[in-house]
Amino acid sequence: MPHVMKNRTISRRTALRGAGVALSLPWLEAMAASANPARPPVRLAALYVPNGVNVSKWTVEGKGRDFTLSATLEPLKSVKDKITVLSNLWNAGSKGGDGHYVKEAAILTCTTIKKTQGADMANGISVDQMAAKSAAHLTPLPSLELGVAPVAIGVDAVVGYTRVYGSHVAWSSPTTPLAREINPKSVYERLFRSGATGQGNAAKMDTLLLDRVLGDAGKLRTQVGADDRHRVDEYLSTMRGLEERVQRANSTSRTAWKARVPLDPKAVPTDRPTDHAEHVRLMMDMIAVAFQSDTTRVSTFMFGNAVSNVSFRFLEGVSAGHHDVSHHQKDDDKLRQYFLISRWHIAQYAYLLEKLESMKEGDATVLDNSMVLFASALSDGNSHNPHNLPLVLGGRGGGRIDSGQHLTYTEDSPLANLYVSMLDAFGAPVERFADSTGPLQGLLKS
Amino acid sequence: MQFPRASALLFLALPAGAEELTFAATQQFLTSNCAKCHSGKTAAGGFVLNRLTTADTLQTAPVKWTRAALRVRNGEMPPKGAGALTVDEREQFAQWVDRSVRGAVCSAGVKPSASHIRRLNRDEYSATIRDLLDIHLDLAKMLPSDGSGGEGFDNAAETLFLSPLHSEKYLEVAKFATDFASKEYKSRSKVIIARPGPGLTSDQAAHKILEAFLPKAFRRPVAAADVAPYVTLFRAASQQGQPFEQAVWFAIRGALVSPMFLFRVEPPNPDSKARLLDQFSLASRLSYFLWGSMPDELLSDVAAAGKLNDTEFLQQLIRRMLRNDRSLGFAQRFIEQWLRTRELATDKAPDAKLYPAYAADEDLRSDVRNQPVLFFREVFIRNLPLTNFIDSKGTIGTRKLAQHFNEKLPLNNNASSQPQWVELPADSRRGGLLGMPAVLAVASYPYRTSPVLRGAWVLDSILGTPPPPPPPNVPPLEETSSGSTPRSMKERLTQHRANAVCASCHTRIDPWGFALENYDPIGKWRDDEGGKPIDNTSELLDGTQIHGPAALKAALMERKDLFLRNLTNKMLGYALGRGLTLQDSCAVDAILAKVKENNYSAQSLIEGIVMSVPFQQQAGRASAPPMKKEAGKP
Repeated sequence: MPHVMKNRTISRRTALRGAGVALSLPWLEAMAASANPARPPVRLAALYVPNGVNVSKWTVEGKGRDFTLSATLEPLKSVKDKITVLSNLWNAGSKGGDGHYVKEAAILTCTTIKKTQGADMANGISVDQMAAKSAAHLTPLPSLELGVAPVAIGVDAVVGYTRVYGSHVAWSSPTTPLAREINPKSVYERLFRSGATGQGNAAKMDTLLLDRVLGDAGKLRTQVGADDRHRVDEYLSTMRGLEERVQRANSTSRTAWKARVPLDPKAVPTDRPTDHAEHVRLMMDMIAVAFQSDTTRVSTFMFGNAVSNVSFRFLEGVSAGHHDVSHHQKDDDKLRQYFLISRWHIAQYAYLLEKLESMKEGDATVLDNSMVLFASALSDGNSHNPHNLPLVLGGRGGGRIDSGQHLTYTEDSPLANLYVSMLDAFGAPVERFADSTGPLQGLLKS
Repeated sequence: MQFPRASALLFLALPAGAEELTFAATQQFLTSNCAKCHSGKTAAGGFVLNRLTTADTLQTAPVKWTRAALRVRNGEMPPKGAGALTVDEREQFAQWVDRSVRGAVCSAGVKPSASHIRRLNRDEYSATIRDLLDIHLDLAKMLPSDGSGGEGFDNAAETLFLSPLHSEKYLEVAKFATDFASKEYKSRSKVIIARPGPGLTSDQAAHKILEAFLPKAFRRPVAAADVAPYVTLFRAASQQGQPFEQAVWFAIRGALVSPMFLFRVEPPNPDSKARLLDQFSLASRLSYFLWGSMPDELLSDVAAAGKLNDTEFLQQLIRRMLRNDRSLGFAQRFIEQWLRTRELATDKAPDAKLYPAYAADEDLRSDVRNQPVLFFREVFIRNLPLTNFIDSKGTIGTRKLAQHFNEKLPLNNNASSQPQWVELPADSRRGGLLGMPAVLAVASYPYRTSPVLRGAWVLDSILGTPPPPPPPNVPPLEETSSGSTPRSMKERLTQHRANAVCASCHTRIDPWGFALENYDPIGKWRDDEGGKPIDNTSELLDGTQIHGPAALKAALMERKDLFLRNLTNKMLGYALGRGLTLQDSCAVDAILAKVKENNYSAQSLIEGIVMSVPFQQQAGRASAPPMKKEAGKP
């Protein structure tokens, strides 16, 4: 089911020929509207955790405003009134297939991925990319894809899926997963570089260069067979996108993008975090500064690839890896460790929410103007259960979200409904998203 | 299409006495197990049995057959409650389908597939710029990591997608590389082969440079009309006030971002019949296969001379290419993905708290990781039998490895820290891949061993017969309780037998792993654990009793043809940079026959691949889309 966009005010420019012609372009007007400091932008992020959670320690007691944080969610207590806990949502499309890839690759697309070792990968467009497409012209980077582990190698011959699926949650098209950055230093430098304005000559030269290679690609496109054209098109569209960004960064127009809070050039993080915990924290920091500065409004972060067995022995009381303990087989000790790992993930999420909350933005905070989803594509990892997914939405979406609630739905309600509402609050409303049946009742203020 | 190869289905040999099916018996099998749902107009999933009732459907509808076989084999069909089949019954049916379909398809001869454009992966990109500009920088680290497709390698055309991050990085890294090269004497003398002077304008000099550079960068002759736009780029930079050389490097930077550089492009076949690939495409196939980089001058010259279809010449060329240092890139990329030892740097890094000495010793860790890579390369350079991967009298040793093994290795005393080929003592436990700590560690958890993981690793990586997926909602079988109190073999087997569903597969997986229990998670030898002696006995499905690694290797040696087919599949998939098709498996048969004729010699495998139809030829324009193998099955 294609996503239908409403109110799409900005047409994406296809190509920009010649140097230094950034005079009156559609995005400038759009930017003028959004640069109004009285109305801070709304940001959208999704944090994905593999392998599910210890359900008995996750489940929240109480409904509506009258709810108690569970043991796993306890680290969120300082921001309890700014989160929304969601129960009984799922992605019906992830029911079959295998235990992991089908669930995890589709967590933000709500589709059924095609079973393949790579030759004909197919997923849907992820919710973050729907948002990014609508706001791409407003910020230096359309979106920021982050992780801490490189793409998992190989194909999983046992279940018959390429591990590309389990290594990507952000998909800009059904066939294009988005590469992630895992080095905090590179991320920071990228944020800094893409936000730098008035590069004058360098930008002009880059534009010349990109024009040249786009020319080569245009010619190549006429030479290759029909099967290969989509690859050349992929090249053309990413290079054109880059050319647009280079030009925009170089714009000296009054209405051009400006950092809401400039990045500190001295605050470059290490490129060699000492451990997993530090690595994750640094990536949380990157999302926070990217949002605060308005370098991008959309981000996804993967705590690990699907089936990740990263060792959590650094946690007191944990002696094994993530996937290993997720198959707890009701063993008390493993369940305890599983719980500790889930809570650790929530603590990192809480760290990000608190950080965004500490960033003032007029009378509100960046958290108030954000939607930060914490999601796993499995509830109980032991049985690869895709029902009643563990989901928390942090932030108030620019005041649209009636936060501080535990919202419960009828069993197996579409997760896609959440995405319809999130896109609405983001300012990129859609009629439908995948198998959605409407907005998620009770989430947005009427 | 998706097609399980014969090897895949031998997810361990059927019990002795299992009967060969006939076409009639197969029809009976389908009728009694599938017909209830898969008949008539409302056949489930659109799969109708009456399209498979005659023998010629093996040739006309191979995809339908292999799909059916795969679903039966994986236990997805018949669905729960529709009458259970035993694992043996499933295997028997699937094996019959595989053999029969392959026989039918290959009877028409080996056919090539269409060639597709492919992006250089980040390792190829880095190595290509290294060779093109003569600079030694690890540029791969600056690019996002690539995913894998096909036979499990990150050079598969199908999974080498591009996203916005790539475009930024390409622009950035090209600048970084050309800035670096412009300050290096070696690079400058290699690239800047002309300068403006008397009788040569700066435009002319730039043209001369680019005319020589672009064919190298684009790996094929470049028409004058395609050089001109890069001279224009040079001129634009000059007009910006950049000095001559800097303006040339700017044009070169452009070339490094061009799709003609970033993609390997093979001119499509305009004819409807298959044809030999053009020589420049073949030169690139060879160099990216055996070097992971661009063709060197010699290779480009012989391509221009049209010599790359000559068998004898190719044999010499292959030997030369293997001896070149660049083949180290091939060895590393191929073996670290085939054996998955690349994961020692990520999820599979042994736990630093449990193995502090190992974690602290950078030399040892590097020796451990390099051992299989260098071993692989030596087997090919020395042209040893491929069975050396199962068991060998020699290995790669260093002083640190000898200590780790607790064995005395005949190392060169003057260079004992350097990896070197050594003959192993007669009673060594370190022959073959399974004697290597890298392999033993990657097939363990970082904090304990797992006979299940190691067994599945042997089935998948060595034999190419991955176990079927666990049935839904049955969690993986646990073999010990949190690693502290190892139970006896008997207890473990009892647990396995307790659940018939688990037992049906785990009796096929676990025995291979139990035989390796003497190696701890970092591959050190142990006779006991937690005060209890290690139990390394097990029984294979065919009743063979195996005690420890030596017996395990002997059992694998008996299955060496299975191993060889798996290695051939992997290497052909790597060489072609794509998943194999049904037609490709006919080529694999031909390569295997040659390798056996040559007493399993390592180079005969590479020669067989390079001389094979899918490597040498490209399909005609109008040919039907290739029939892909069934997802999930090697």
